[in-house]
Amino acid sequence: MDVRVCVPLGALFDESLAALEAVGLPVAPLRDAGRRLIVEVPGGPTYITTRPSDVPTYVESGAADLGIVGRDVLLERQPDVYELADLGFGGCRMSWCTRDGDDPTPVALERFGVVRVATKYVNCAERFFAATGRAAEIVKVNGSVELAPLVGLADGIVDLVATGRTLRENGLVEREPIFESTARLIANRVSHKMRADEMDRLVRAFGEATA
Amino acid sequence: MTEPVPLPAGVRDVLPVEAAELRALGDALAGAFRLFGYREVETPIIELADVLDRADEDGLGRAYRLFDDDGRVMVLRPDLTIPIARLVATRMGDHPDPVRVSYNAMAVRPPASGKIEGAEQRQAGIELVGAAGPDADAEVISALAAALAAAGVPEARIAVGSVAIVSAVLDGAGADGPSRDALWAALRGRSVVDWRSAVAALGADGEAGAVLAELPALRGGTEVIDRIAGAFPGAATECARLGAVLDLVAAGGAGAPMVDMGVVRDWSYYSGLVIEAYAAGASAPVAVGGRYDGLGARFGRPRAAVGVAVALDLLHHAVGRAAERGDAGIVLVGGSDEFIPAARALRAEGVTVVGVPAAYADADALALADGRRFVVRRGDGMWTARDVISGTDAVVDDLGAGPWT
Repeated sequence: MDVRVCVPLGALFDESLAALEAVGLPVAPLRDAGRRLIVEVPGGPTYITTRPSDVPTYVESGAADLGIVGRDVLLERQPDVYELADLGFGGCRMSWCTRDGDDPTPVALERFGVVRVATKYVNCAERFFAATGRAAEIVKVNGSVELAPLVGLADGIVDLVATGRTLRENGLVEREPIFESTARLIANRVSHKMRADEMDRLVRAFGEATA
Repeated sequence: MTEPVPLPAGVRDVLPVEAAELRALGDALAGAFRLFGYREVETPIIELADVLDRADEDGLGRAYRLFDDDGRVMVLRPDLTIPIARLVATRMGDHPDPVRVSYNAMAVRPPASGKIEGAEQRQAGIELVGAAGPDADAEVISALAAALAAAGVPEARIAVGSVAIVSAVLDGAGADGPSRDALWAALRGRSVVDWRSAVAALGADGEAGAVLAELPALRGGTEVIDRIAGAFPGAATECARLGAVLDLVAAGGAGAPMVDMGVVRDWSYYSGLVIEAYAAGASAPVAVGGRYDGLGARFGRPRAAVGVAVALDLLHHAVGRAAERGDAGIVLVGGSDEFIPAARALRAEGVTVVGVPAAYADADALALADGRRFVVRRGDGMWTARDVISGTDAVVDDLGAGPWT
């Protein structure tokens, strides 16, 4: 088997390895990979490790056959891939959050006609405010999103909330949940068909492992 | 460094090697289609927006639009099936059924950010109009298989599904209104996860519930169709039809296509069979198509139709480098001034001759850049040919009998 699996570094990494191990894939070489980005297991899969937000890119382009990625990234990037299984781990929620105290959202809409939103998830934020009939000015930031409402860059943020600790520590509260996210198994459109038997076997195994 | 000269986003130039390979691929596909009786047609690169509006296709919202002098909106064709449907309905309305046409043309769509897909998409395809039976579906699948083989795809796989079967299953499951929309959205979004959660909301159980939950993941051979027909009697007619199509394809000798209920097309004009073809090395399907019986009526001439289009640029990634560079030919020093008759005589025999003046300095570099194997010179009363790959010179007595002929 020479399937290429794209594994996200960061928060989902350890549980991704556990999930791959649970379906019988050898992951020990990946644990000991150090700084190597590609790990080829002799007679087994090839692992490609990337930033979580790059996983759909590698899978969509066919550089990887399979990938593990959060639903948040899928909804943001909308890649043309098969979403084959909910792996159950990495649970978190995309939410609209503002400073504690009175919710600034209705005031901003009433007085200025628009709410200012800082986020890494520009597409998710745009769709959410459009779907709820509110005008939003989206400001793309790349890190420490929580800072934006504290210094007046935005009225609030659209971001992932797992435990809520970062929010609390910065005096922010969740106002409106947007969607729940967990890790998903995705497959390249061509690999999914060209290697149908192998893919179906793996997907069944993932299904049994998470049942 | 000179100032960069930008191109619009998503488009690119095609240089000689690629152009030659794309041409060879297009010719191979066209040759295979021709053997099934398909004749090539062309449509204009711009259409009135009304043509797209008639097709009522959300997916085609992404198109370059422009205005003519009367303020009418025109589009650069973002698709070939709709213009061909217009052509067949309006210009070939009297043609006896069925009409077989092929095309090799460019569809143009504004590029989506973050996608590899370019704005220009070369498509070589066929449309079989005025034929409603399973034999027509089978012919299109067989012609596609023959075309991919002719193009030299080392490893191709064809998958077929049916939006009519899916539709009948959804009828049988009582999915309507928002729940039906959610199921279609999951299927088009290729999300098995979203599909299952939408199915769970329907609360079907037993074998029907199991088939419904697994539908987008159901694939294999004819046993898949039998299982669906068993669980959903309302889908039996469409299942039998797809079974008949597969039998006819098998009778034609092409390898059996994979049945895959997860194969759907993004566009709503498809009404029955859907086809995708895959090749190792291409990141997306190299061919897509299906049956679109309702499109002709929108142009005033209702006729059943089925077709498929090969994405030439994707196919190009899936085939190896062209084995030989065709007519390698020669560079003839003096061929454009002193030895024009000699050049002419060679061309008459089908040899490619690049003529350069007798005083031309670096014929070897030109030959290498253009892929010409030999540089031929006249000196001391005889012809000398230099093989620019090996760097060896050889005397040639008769230009008409060199290694290039």
